[in-house]
Amino acid sequence: MTDDAPAVRAPGDPFDPPGLEWSRVSGKLVTARLVPSLTTVGLLAVVGAVVALATGAAWVWVFPTFFVLLALWLLWLVPRQVHAIGYAERADDLLIRKGIMFRTLVVVPYGRMQYLDVQRGPLTRALGLASLQLHTASAGTDASIDGLPAEVAERLRDQLAARGEARLAGL
Amino acid sequence: MSDGLPVPAPGGATAPSSLAWQRVHPVTPLVKGWLVLVVVVLGLLRSTAEQGDGDGARFALHHLAWVLLGIAAIVVVAGTYSWLAWRVTAYAIDPDAVHMRSGILFKQHRKARLDRIQAIEVRQPLAARIFGLAEVKVEVAGGDGSGVSIGYLTERTAQELRADLLARAAGLGAPSSGGKQAVAAPADGTDAKHAPDAVTSAAGPGPAPTLHATEAPEQPLFEVPSGRLVASTFLTVEAWVLVLVVAGAVVAAAAARTPAVLFSFVPVLIGLGSALFGRFNRSFAFRAATSPDGIRLRHGLTETRAQTIPPGRVQAVELVQPFLWRRFGWWRVHVNVAGYGREANAKGPTTVLLPVGSRAEATTALWLVLPDLGTADPLALLGEALDGSGPSDAFTAAPRRSRWLDPVGWRRNGYAVTARAVLARSGRVRRRLVVVPHERTQSLGLEQGPLQRRLGLASFVLHSTPGSVHPEVPHLDARDARVLLDEQSVRAREARSQDLSERWLQPPGARA
Repeated sequence: MTDDAPAVRAPGDPFDPPGLEWSRVSGKLVTARLVPSLTTVGLLAVVGAVVALATGAAWVWVFPTFFVLLALWLLWLVPRQVHAIGYAERADDLLIRKGIMFRTLVVVPYGRMQYLDVQRGPLTRALGLASLQLHTASAGTDASIDGLPAEVAERLRDQLAARGEARLAGL
Repeated sequence: MSDGLPVPAPGGATAPSSLAWQRVHPVTPLVKGWLVLVVVVLGLLRSTAEQGDGDGARFALHHLAWVLLGIAAIVVVAGTYSWLAWRVTAYAIDPDAVHMRSGILFKQHRKARLDRIQAIEVRQPLAARIFGLAEVKVEVAGGDGSGVSIGYLTERTAQELRADLLARAAGLGAPSSGGKQAVAAPADGTDAKHAPDAVTSAAGPGPAPTLHATEAPEQPLFEVPSGRLVASTFLTVEAWVLVLVVAGAVVAAAAARTPAVLFSFVPVLIGLGSALFGRFNRSFAFRAATSPDGIRLRHGLTETRAQTIPPGRVQAVELVQPFLWRRFGWWRVHVNVAGYGREANAKGPTTVLLPVGSRAEATTALWLVLPDLGTADPLALLGEALDGSGPSDAFTAAPRRSRWLDPVGWRRNGYAVTARAVLARSGRVRRRLVVVPHERTQSLGLEQGPLQRRLGLASFVLHSTPGSVHPEVPHLDARDARVLLDEQSVRAREARSQDLSERWLQPPGARA
């Protein structure tokens, strides 16, 4: 076998190993993420259109068109991004994966968790969502799960905290 | 004097009243604030002198009295404030923790658990050295600025405090060996809670009720000769940039036929020069020793520091060889210690375990951190880790196709796993080896960008505590990376469950 053989994608995918059951986050996270970004982009598009109408110059329409395209791209991208978020609870650690283009997978051992945060903003609260963040002694651990249904976040927090307590090690 | 202010006890559940509080040395405010004082006085004098320019010296003389009066007023106000601040600054030690309280308006009571001590440093800035004072810094694992600074104390008190803290943290309880003045020492540490409640707040900086533990004996390991330190400082990229900047300034001045051009280069020169000098200043007279208390480091030219890092506190080690050092065979060794954080400013802790040293010394430094590398032939493995490249029995290397992403260094990228640690090798121009003990792994991760995905590669990341060492193995074969991730999480868990580094001198049976 040559070393330069093109990568085998499906079976050897390191981000989707067999025997793991991934939980997905709520689809409402798409709304939670799209509302603020689409509002901003939409406002900019409207401003651009008004300016274009006021000046009457044809080339000014470049700006509103750009923002409309950006909005369409977001409408396509965000659902895929949200769908790519997953977490899996194993006996001794929690796995979190994210991203489509730039993919990351983080393994956080329960015994390493220093504290857990559940955060809710006004919009996510209206949608009944919450995000859970795990903190270890390392600043490099980017272990947060956005878009959990509120009760799942609470349950997960208590469950993880209990497991962490049982396995807590020194640093 | 704190009666007037409703201050909530910051300690919460702790009962600070039962602690034997000790004041710091009265000269402390002067040592801490002398620079501010000098700047204020100089600033006032200068502005007076400038005013005097126009109307002659008589005007300046007339105002001088007022200026001196102003300075006197500032000194009185600052002095009163400092005295009040000194009155409330105190520290105490109980069997479980070291306490520090300070602040007049905003009071702070900080408690650092002894079993969470990550390192202890005795720091002596130049001003403190003049007065024979020192500051004891206790680092706990709470991120930047979470440590407790007790200072300033007399040198002797500082040494005794350090020895005492280390002995207690090691789980020796109240040491009985030193015992020349067992002031508040109960027979054993277990019921030190019932120690005399005498709040010796009036005693000033006199004999502290510390337990006067005898300092653990130490064995010197290596020191860095100043000649080598100077040479290595000049063999860095910064030094060459500095030389180039100076040359450029001279050429520019010659071309413009005016020396005024030189002044525009001053900020750059100061920046580069102070960075270089800072490194030199910290690493001067670097000595390392080993003792039952852990690693002992002493260094510094103007400001001397004596660091003690207890066993098992180092989270990750990095051995680096900058390109210009290769023909001399020199290496630099950095460590991550929880609570140290990044080496952000001059007052921050030093994360260097060896500023410049031969390969043998670098290996010794690694051995200090990790006495057992967990392999039958550590020297052969290290040889491969430091100079080697490509796959071998021990090392799993990045595949050839990763040359598209790392055309120069791809052969060096790789990892080896022993029974005790992970070795991550990288860098061809600037050689680099990171060693992380299994039980010090915080969390693990895989990362994959679009190009890596096309090539079937992935980077493996070990998350360590914040610091200058970032352990990762870039561009591994995706399947290798995945296997490493799975196996490493199991190894880390097993190692953690057997980790006994807290209270390191206490027999295992006595642990809670």
